[in-house]
Amino acid sequence: MPNDAIVAEKLEYRYGNLVAVKGISFTVGERKILGFLGPNGAGKTTTFKMLTGQLRPRSGTATLLGMDISRDLEKAQARIGVCFETTNLYEQMSAIENLNLFAKIFRMPDFSAEALLDRVGLSGRGRDRVATYSKGMKQRLMIARSIINRPDILFLDEPTAGLDPASSERIREVILEERERGASVFLTTHDMVEADKLADTVAFMNSGEIAALDTPLNLKRKYGRRALKVTVAAGDGLADREITLDEPETADAVRDLFASENVVTVHSEEATLEDIFIRLTGRGLA
Amino acid sequence: MNLHIVRALVGKDLAMYARNRLFMYLTLAGLALFIAVYFVMPNVVEDTYKIGVYGETVPPAFTQTPPEGGLQLARVGTDAALRQGVLDGDYIAGVALPPDVMEKFAAGQPADVTLYFAPDVPPEARQAVELAVRELAYQQTGQTLAVNLTGEVLGVDTLSQPVAPRNRMRPMLAVLILMMEMLALANLLAEEAERGTARALMVTPVTATDLFAAKGITGTGLAFVQAVFFIAIAGGLGHEAGLILLALVLGAVLVTAVAFIVASVSRDFMSVLGWGMLAFIIATIPSFGVLFPGAVTGWVKVIPTYYLVDAVHRAANFNAGWGDLWADLVILAACCAAAAWLGIFALRRRLS
Repeated sequence: MPNDAIVAEKLEYRYGNLVAVKGISFTVGERKILGFLGPNGAGKTTTFKMLTGQLRPRSGTATLLGMDISRDLEKAQARIGVCFETTNLYEQMSAIENLNLFAKIFRMPDFSAEALLDRVGLSGRGRDRVATYSKGMKQRLMIARSIINRPDILFLDEPTAGLDPASSERIREVILEERERGASVFLTTHDMVEADKLADTVAFMNSGEIAALDTPLNLKRKYGRRALKVTVAAGDGLADREITLDEPETADAVRDLFASENVVTVHSEEATLEDIFIRLTGRGLA
Repeated sequence: MNLHIVRALVGKDLAMYARNRLFMYLTLAGLALFIAVYFVMPNVVEDTYKIGVYGETVPPAFTQTPPEGGLQLARVGTDAALRQGVLDGDYIAGVALPPDVMEKFAAGQPADVTLYFAPDVPPEARQAVELAVRELAYQQTGQTLAVNLTGEVLGVDTLSQPVAPRNRMRPMLAVLILMMEMLALANLLAEEAERGTARALMVTPVTATDLFAAKGITGTGLAFVQAVFFIAIAGGLGHEAGLILLALVLGAVLVTAVAFIVASVSRDFMSVLGWGMLAFIIATIPSFGVLFPGAVTGWVKVIPTYYLVDAVHRAANFNAGWGDLWADLVILAACCAAAAWLGIFALRRRLS
């Protein structure tokens, strides 16, 4: 589609004899977030590196904003933002100095480091050396650095891995704000809950291949099993009953249960993305 | 190459350089090393002079190394080979015997012997060689005045221009200053690679060319400025300043390239120090030839810093000019180009 921010076609990469990414294809639309999910070693970071120009694909093509990364990488890199999984800041410099350096590189004359630090919850600490920051603060600074140039595509590699809930939440807010501004987001993670909260589309990576690619809702509808979990009074105690939803006889089963038993509680139960991932790939996310 | 990016990166590198406590450690480590080198050096004087001897017929006394030591004699096949050996530093002096030396000795007449000296052999060493040759002739003939000695200095004669010890040290100190900068730059580069900050730059419009240009400018600039400052303070720019400045620029480029190579094989400060010190020591060896003439032989010419040391020494201490030193500068420039290519290649592999 002409409006897709990222188009990958048959991308492949191998480390020696090991094929890390096996000819995958996908697209990310404008103002969309793609959650790239999978366990360690699934090929997420290799794909991330190919798309950001850190690795050259062995075969296949990829375009960012219509620019082929094998020909126009430099131009494309001017319009993307990249946040790495591991911290790679200039630790002997202050946060403001770090941000100002990248603002100069991107030629952002009206850039305000303080305003950006405020957005990621680091106001007041801008002049401190980064070496004195906690892991969560460094990661928020990494996010800030990745959006200096108001990127059209934001690449995020495990942006909340190992962070405290407050830092993770702040980072998720910034990601959603960036999408609102107009950025497309490529988000690699093995946190299914995070992907469920943020992503418009998710891709399940397993052993270098995409096992499934769809919206979280569609994946749950397609592969998940919905049910009602009902607790009823049984003598002096309680008993559990389960009614499978989306079946022709579901309505009758619900009516019969309420007519014949003393219902105490009713809860709906939905499949999680992790359940679906395990069902599709036969392996967990660890 | 994008100039505004290179400018931004150079500014960042200078800021990092200025606030890095590494230099305090480097200074202390350097001081400790120099003291250690001093105590490792032998504290007894061993003046063994290796002398080349050429003659159609050579008297037996001129072929046997004297048992009391201090002199080592080596027979050479031709007069030309003898001259070249002296120029190359293989011999501290050459003894050219006349064809009729045996007849003269037999007749009790003094033989006319020519002594070849390298330009930088100090007067005391020349006198020692002359005495040694007279002693050999005495052993052969039993006469005290068996030879007439004629000294010939090959190349530029520096006999009449004695050089103060501290001026002899000038090239060595310039090389040390340049190499200290090499260690600092190598550490900056290794940190960029190890901490992933180079990776962060390479996903922006910064190209590999921009990155290497910025590092090259920072390293070369800092090394050059400090070396020039030292040479100027030490009075080394009084003659052929342009030539010496060019030599120092090339020296700064050379150590920057060495820093690239060291950084490409180093992971942290300690490994930079380990590999860097190896390069440091090798680079310093040619300057010992200036400090102690005759202490090193021709093989030091395989070390690129030889051409820097030689150019600075001869220009600053013996008023040598472009005509005398152009070959040094050309070879030094070629070494710079080769080292820069190797350094960029190795570091690029490391960063990728």
